[in-house]
Amino acid sequence: MDKLLEVSLGIVTSVGGYLEIGSIATSAQAGAAFGFQLLWALVLGTLCIIVLVEMSGRFAAVSHHTISDAMRERFGFNFFLLPLTVTVLLNLMVLSAEIGGVALAGEFATGIGHQWWAVPVGIVVWLLLWKGTFGLIEKGVALLGLVTLVFVVAAVKLGPDWKDLLRSAVPSLPQHDGARYWFLAASILGATISPYLFLFYSSGAIEDHWNESYLWANRAIAGIGMTFGGVISASTLVIAALVMPPSGIRDVNDYHQLPLLLTKVFGFWGLVLFIASLAIACLGAALEIALQQAYLVAQGFGWNWGKDLMPEAAPAFSLVYTLSVIIAVVPMVLGVDPLNLTVFSMALTAASLPLTILPFIFLMNDKRFVKQHTNGRLGNIAIMAIIALGFVLAIATIPLEIFSGG
Amino acid sequence: MNLARDIIDKQVVDKNQAKMGKVDGVVLALHGGKPPVVSYIEIGGITLARRVGRRTERFIRLLKKRWGSPRAQQPYRVAWRQVRDIGVDIEVALDVRETPVNDWQNWLRDKVIRRIPGS
Repeated sequence: MDKLLEVSLGIVTSVGGYLEIGSIATSAQAGAAFGFQLLWALVLGTLCIIVLVEMSGRFAAVSHHTISDAMRERFGFNFFLLPLTVTVLLNLMVLSAEIGGVALAGEFATGIGHQWWAVPVGIVVWLLLWKGTFGLIEKGVALLGLVTLVFVVAAVKLGPDWKDLLRSAVPSLPQHDGARYWFLAASILGATISPYLFLFYSSGAIEDHWNESYLWANRAIAGIGMTFGGVISASTLVIAALVMPPSGIRDVNDYHQLPLLLTKVFGFWGLVLFIASLAIACLGAALEIALQQAYLVAQGFGWNWGKDLMPEAAPAFSLVYTLSVIIAVVPMVLGVDPLNLTVFSMALTAASLPLTILPFIFLMNDKRFVKQHTNGRLGNIAIMAIIALGFVLAIATIPLEIFSGG
Repeated sequence: MNLARDIIDKQVVDKNQAKMGKVDGVVLALHGGKPPVVSYIEIGGITLARRVGRRTERFIRLLKKRWGSPRAQQPYRVAWRQVRDIGVDIEVALDVRETPVNDWQNWLRDKVIRRIPGS
């Protein structure tokens, strides 16, 4: 019974914590520019993250190692430095984008520019971590995050053509703006397959003392939670496809256009719901990424870590998230556009996936860590094919995107 | 047992399961014609930096000289006979508070964290 409750909570937290600035921005841009056509990228990405999250929970439950611990142990410090450095830098970019997301919610709510919100938002994120209460508020933030289900309601209310939707789950070639199409495909993959998500999940499983009796619970949480999350992202894309072009918007390049996603359907309350969704989703993501950053570094160097530890008990761990939040606030204060930063860091994430995921796949097939619970061959091949696709698309289109002026 | 596989880069915990870093290196001893035996495990940034390269090592040594505590100028060595258990972690029969490995974190706690209101 206890475990059933844990599973339900786990599912709720995955659903409530799924949406963040990356999935909102990339889905909105894709829907406005190409209708439902890029839905396949979301489907592929969601399949991939379901499998990866399941793997990371299974890995932690069986090996009692977090992924960062195991990566250093298995491949040695010198190799570990590579995924460590890349992930730390990307985490900083994405953290900055999420802080920007909360700041945007502040701007939409008050009219005061998002630059002014960056520092207060950073302080809130830092305080929640510093007080050592993350374990307590984590579930609360995730429960509040269920407000993002309003995107699903809006999508259904708009009455999309379901046959059209299903057809878009299969990849197809673009009729116009080829470079933009593939760049958005890469960004969607990067936004959906967020490394921080499954790395964070493995640390949580260790903190909750998972063992092999949790394998079915893990499968349920990963499968159901991430599927629902994917549905929320897909709904965002559907809404964008149905409301943006009729308003004359084919290119979502200005963040002021984002609230349209819900205001077109719900009017004034749509704005309120959009602000609440954006603020909660991005705040939750910012907390997770800042913590993930500290987990990663502390686990890599063998320091004490834990989301409920007071700073005095884990000084170096606390130092990492403190510095990360400070650094991430800077670009927002300087006026970097949160929307541009988001989409760009999502594409970069897609490009970096081989570095973080390939070593992880090796670990998942190493009997010394996962005993008889290794991956199936199909899972291995599917994951590698999807991240290879994301990598190729990102490498090929990021330069085009930069030269065309974003 | 395979040194590189089973010892190096594993988590080290003290007798109270407190984390005290990773096995950053091992010290082997040669006695006559016999095969080498492990005499110490090393914990510390200098050992780690040496594995990355000479320049990195010089840089870390410089940092330690300038800001490190006097006891942290050399990598910390744990005698092999202190190793109690090799499992998920490597447990050693020591108390981390009596070793210098956390000196810099203690400094951070006493000089910085305790001075921030609300901690």
